[in-house]
Amino acid sequence: MEGIEIALLGAALAVGFAGSGSAIGIGIVGQSAAGLISEDPDKFGQTLLLQALPGTQGIYGLLTGFLIMQNVGVIGDETVTLTTSQGYAFLMASLPIAIAGLSSGIYQGRVLSSTINLIAKRPEEMGKGIVYAVMVETYAVFALLATVLILFGIDL
Amino acid sequence: MPIIDMKKVFLLGHYQEREQIFNLLHNLGIVEMVDVKSSETWDEFQSYLEPGQLPENVSQIDARRSDIRYCLDIFQRHYPIRKSIVEQFTGSSLDLTADQFASYLDSLDQVEEIHKSCCEAEEKLVSIRNEVIQSQNLIEDLQPWSALEIPLELIEDGSYTVMGLYTVNAEQYPALQDTLAANISDYFVEEVFPDQDVVHFFFSGLSEDKPVIDDLFKEKTVTRVSFPDLTATPAESIKSLHEKLKILNDQKRAILSEIEALLEHRPMLMACYDYMDNEHAKHQATSNLGCTKSSFLLEGWVPVPVLGDLETAIANRTETAAIVSRDPNPDEDVPVLLHNSGPVEPYEVVTKLFSTPKRNELDPTPFMAPFFFLFFGICLSDAGYGLILTLLAVLISRKLKLEGMGKQLVTLLIYSGVSAFVFGLILGGYFGDLINLPPLWFDPLEEPMVMLIGSLGLGVIHIYFGMALQAYRNIKAGKVLSALYDQGFWFIFLNGLILLLVGFPFAGQWMAIIGAVGLILTQGRAQRSFVLKFLSGLLSLYNITQYLSDVLSYSRLFALGLASIVIGMVINAVGDLVAGSVIGYLILVIILLGGHFFNVIISSLSAYVHTSRLQYLEFFNKFFEGGGRSFQPFRAKNSYTDIVENEEG
Repeated sequence: MEGIEIALLGAALAVGFAGSGSAIGIGIVGQSAAGLISEDPDKFGQTLLLQALPGTQGIYGLLTGFLIMQNVGVIGDETVTLTTSQGYAFLMASLPIAIAGLSSGIYQGRVLSSTINLIAKRPEEMGKGIVYAVMVETYAVFALLATVLILFGIDL
Repeated sequence: MPIIDMKKVFLLGHYQEREQIFNLLHNLGIVEMVDVKSSETWDEFQSYLEPGQLPENVSQIDARRSDIRYCLDIFQRHYPIRKSIVEQFTGSSLDLTADQFASYLDSLDQVEEIHKSCCEAEEKLVSIRNEVIQSQNLIEDLQPWSALEIPLELIEDGSYTVMGLYTVNAEQYPALQDTLAANISDYFVEEVFPDQDVVHFFFSGLSEDKPVIDDLFKEKTVTRVSFPDLTATPAESIKSLHEKLKILNDQKRAILSEIEALLEHRPMLMACYDYMDNEHAKHQATSNLGCTKSSFLLEGWVPVPVLGDLETAIANRTETAAIVSRDPNPDEDVPVLLHNSGPVEPYEVVTKLFSTPKRNELDPTPFMAPFFFLFFGICLSDAGYGLILTLLAVLISRKLKLEGMGKQLVTLLIYSGVSAFVFGLILGGYFGDLINLPPLWFDPLEEPMVMLIGSLGLGVIHIYFGMALQAYRNIKAGKVLSALYDQGFWFIFLNGLILLLVGFPFAGQWMAIIGAVGLILTQGRAQRSFVLKFLSGLLSLYNITQYLSDVLSYSRLFALGLASIVIGMVINAVGDLVAGSVIGYLILVIILLGGHFFNVIISSLSAYVHTSRLQYLEFFNKFFEGGGRSFQPFRAKNSYTDIVENEEG
């Protein structure tokens, strides 16, 4: 593979894996939420908010994919020729968010699924449930940070 | 003082004035009642006082209240009042002027009648629903037999023959046929409906073979099906059942329209419910009292600033009630009421979502507020998004009359939008890169390290501030040495390490050593033996990892700030791909509007939760414990209605 293809593999991994994490996480929350709505339709707004939370991993993945595509000239005007080692550098940059996005999305979904049970009984405690979910999300944010720092550090 | 001082009040009054005084307290809404029996007063007065008895009519009020609730629930089930997305967070209520409310209460005697009609209607609906389910099940059972052209009542055992409808597992059917042929001479079998799993068949044979047939059928687990009440052929029965369903449906609709006709009473019922509910609360509160035959003693908490109001209000109402108040005892469970003024007030919601402070603790709200403002702005860091967030929040606060935490949250978002606007100007974010204006300071995409170090630096300041607050608490509690040992030495040690890191080896080295030695010598002071003192002192240095991870946690400010800008850029770039033709520009506008709106919501959400987290975990854990009980005064609570000023005005 040439440099450009390796770099695009990185973009694909970031979008695909982090997106999968979000999709699974959101799916888990959605199942619990739908169950709650059958009892209490007025909690739709609250549950929707909770369901949106594991969506950030997918967004971080997309963002990474976009930054890579822009840097290697797939989007935008400037065309860049990459060496193989530069290509690998982009691939490496994508890995933190790809891996942590997948796992944190799923586990954040599980925490939020329990939060749905929490607000079924005590809606006023939603804030605390969200804080638990944010504890998981922290590692997606750190992964994004590492990804972005590597990306900015690549010499072209 | 952000935490309001409370006084314990004792109110002694004539029992026959109890209701008047309760009404007064209920309207004032500034007293939190305490159950006399559970307080120390009870030990003193137990010999004179009886526990307050619930008035006799309380159960009557309760019954009435649940009657009204029953009607309202039926209305809600069949003709629900839908809540908008925003109302699902804030709750919705019916606005009534005081006059309207009073006029609704005049029709309180209609409640019984309405309740009766509601009960009847509901009863009928239930029986209709049962019949519908029965008929539907019957139709389902009949469906496989619809090809059978014999009236169902003719299928019965006669004197010489037996016949019936049977089902059997499809796998068993061929074997059944074989055994029948082998064992019985005269019989008739017809497959009516071959399902994939179950075969439905008609069978008739001679009465004299019945024992043999029964045994064979039992062996092959054949089930007999019968429809005892039906007289026509299956197909005809299905048709008539469908007709019956139609009739039932019409009946249901008629009853629903009866309920609909009752809907005009809904506002009245809502008002009455709230009235009854409050009456109930007032009566229920009697159980908190201590009573003699002709007097009562009420115990409660009152915030000091409004104590005078209470005294004058009581004095104006009656001359025979006496109020005494005293400062709380140190070990009493005093409720906590936060009072922050001005721009800090909305940030109370952040504190309350974590925990109400204890009464002799610092209220962290005013210290946390500026950081919350700052951090939120950095996380969103887009002038356009900040503007939209503020506008949205202003719109919501204009449209909905919010109270309490809802109002505080919306005000907090208004401020947060302003903060994001300012940071957007500083860092050059305008809807991502939609508007290309140079940043006032630097572009985080060009100089990410500046932003990262800036974020961590803010974190260090935030953490130091938390430590300083704890030191202040220690000093105020008279533990000056604890402040020096637990916060002072850490402060010196950490600063030494930072100096080492940024290139002042000499000063840094010595500060770090002084701090570390101080910590080793003091952190084990709770231990008894010398060795343990030294070891736990040494071990305490391990806490450096805690400080390190706390500081690194602030890198999220950078990551989230960058994320909101770059997501904006992604939206713009996607829009750019389709632009060109007329339709392209149309799609471009849709993408930009939808995309940026989505980003405002999702990025604001991230900003809010991550900023909260930094306060809760990195800041509060340095000095704040929480676990207080919030002040809950005895006052009017309405579930359905809201009394407003004259609406015409």
